[in-house]
Amino acid sequence: MNLALFIPELTLAVFALLVILLDLFTEQKRLLVQVSVSGLVISAGVTLAMWGESFPAIFNNMLAVDNFALFFKLLLLGVAFLVILASISYTQKFARFQGEYYALVLLSTLGMMLMAATTDLIAIYIALELTSLSLYALVGFLKDSKSTESSLKYLLLGAIASVVLLYGMALIFGFTGQTQLGEIARVIQAMSPQTILSFPALTLGLVMLITGFGFKIAAVPFQMWVPDVYEGAPTPITAYLSVASKAAGFALILRVFFSAFGLPEWLSLNWGIIFAFLAVIGMTLGNIAAIPQTNIKRMLGYSSIAQAGYLLVGMAAMGFSPVVDILGRSSIIFFLTSYALTNMGAFIAIIAISNKLDSDLIDDYTGIGKRAPLVALALTLCLVSLIGMPPAAGFMAKFYIFSAAVRSNLLWLVIIAVINSVISAYYYLRVVNVMWLGKAASEEKISSPGTLRLGLVLSCLGVLLLGIIPGFAMLLAEFAARIFVF
Amino acid sequence: MIANYGYIGLFLIAVILFTLLMVTIPIALRFLRIVPDNPNPVKNSIFECGMETIGKTWVQFNFHYYFYVLIFLALDVLVIFLYPWAVSLRQLGISGLITILILITIIFVGYIYAWRKKVLEWK
Repeated sequence: MNLALFIPELTLAVFALLVILLDLFTEQKRLLVQVSVSGLVISAGVTLAMWGESFPAIFNNMLAVDNFALFFKLLLLGVAFLVILASISYTQKFARFQGEYYALVLLSTLGMMLMAATTDLIAIYIALELTSLSLYALVGFLKDSKSTESSLKYLLLGAIASVVLLYGMALIFGFTGQTQLGEIARVIQAMSPQTILSFPALTLGLVMLITGFGFKIAAVPFQMWVPDVYEGAPTPITAYLSVASKAAGFALILRVFFSAFGLPEWLSLNWGIIFAFLAVIGMTLGNIAAIPQTNIKRMLGYSSIAQAGYLLVGMAAMGFSPVVDILGRSSIIFFLTSYALTNMGAFIAIIAISNKLDSDLIDDYTGIGKRAPLVALALTLCLVSLIGMPPAAGFMAKFYIFSAAVRSNLLWLVIIAVINSVISAYYYLRVVNVMWLGKAASEEKISSPGTLRLGLVLSCLGVLLLGIIPGFAMLLAEFAARIFVF
Repeated sequence: MIANYGYIGLFLIAVILFTLLMVTIPIALRFLRIVPDNPNPVKNSIFECGMETIGKTWVQFNFHYYFYVLIFLALDVLVIFLYPWAVSLRQLGISGLITILILITIIFVGYIYAWRKKVLEWK
């Protein structure tokens, strides 16, 4: 057991406990922010120091310490940092439970970091639950009726998804007799196709795994919770849910399907086609349902469902192409990075505007371009990136994913995705139109606190960098896409 | 494969027959007048520890119990983890000790939290 490789996670756990204790004994709540941020920074520093080298798996092959895990850990820590930046002004709304808020954010980040690293079905379940339990509490933090309702919905649906996931895991364990992903792969590859096909247990288990993970990433038949929870939750937590939860979920899907079910090619074709269909209905339903929305948080909720659809195009490409082809995986990683920056930027801008307006309705955004030009500009950049237009990061992200799909002979899927991108331009540009061309109700300027501005600048710089010089990031993503199988 | 289910079926039949038998025996004995029949109120009451029942079961519990149950649950889980550790104390050695100390620290933070939030005070 090599605890030195577990330091990033341990640091985060220690700092979460520290935040809880500090909150009890100090009146200066500013200190909590500093402690949480320093925990994130130390953890990210240790992770960064480990980057590039190859390490053995720890805890009896339950946790991988490969570049894939390290990359996602850095991404999630970065997102958590932005979320905390965005929360500082927002947490004034619930002055009583600040310590719990930051501690829960740290703990759910810990859970997501574990999700990106686990290589064992049992450890996957524990990491998922650690993440979900913290998020259930965070969603209900506002304590008004909408927030409580969304928290309860999230809890109930999440519990059902967990049960389905566990049942799928049990079937796969029953079929292979192993819980470790690499061992599962070895057992499956040793069997003849006839043996596997004569028992439907493995296919059923795969479908149930996809169901359980699909809930986390908001893929379409399992997306019922998304609009309500996104609308009801505190806005920084909505951003956190839409970005970090999705990134960690995709990290998990990528690792499980790549290392356990990647190799007999006919098997990967089977789950590839499932992902292709999920992608089609996800993109279409998400984009069409987003059009009539009047609440911007709800609209971005449907948009995140559609984005999950685009990401699933990458999963389908991974299933349809031979495992050696790295473009499918690296394009998903690139898309997740650019999506994380873009969506964080959009939500921080929404927090900055809604804090003053005290409303999330798109109609109330009329004329914001004159009242808060810089924030409106940032929001415009992020929405343009979500459509997938140059020079923003979203363009390159979609370009890579679509080219991976074309290379795997999935041209029909790419055509549907492109049509969807065009549809999506309508509702994103409607917000831009309202902001810049509408006539404002009042001429009063909206000023935003420095922490929000810092977060906004960081994410917008990221969006532009990834969009203008994507080559370097793509190299990183390809480096990160080398998943080790134990 | 099917034969295994056959065994379960046999057990099922045995269970049903046994239950029916146990229910019919007292009825049959009563019918044959072997068992005397002289009821009184204590005999007919719902059996509960031999004591006469006081009040109804719809009692309102103090809301504070909920916090105690939560704390109890945490400590209960701690005990569940302490037992296997204590049984194989020697084999686990120093690393086992450190692991269990970490666990106790985490639970202890929760305990301090409850204490500072005035959960332990009975009002």
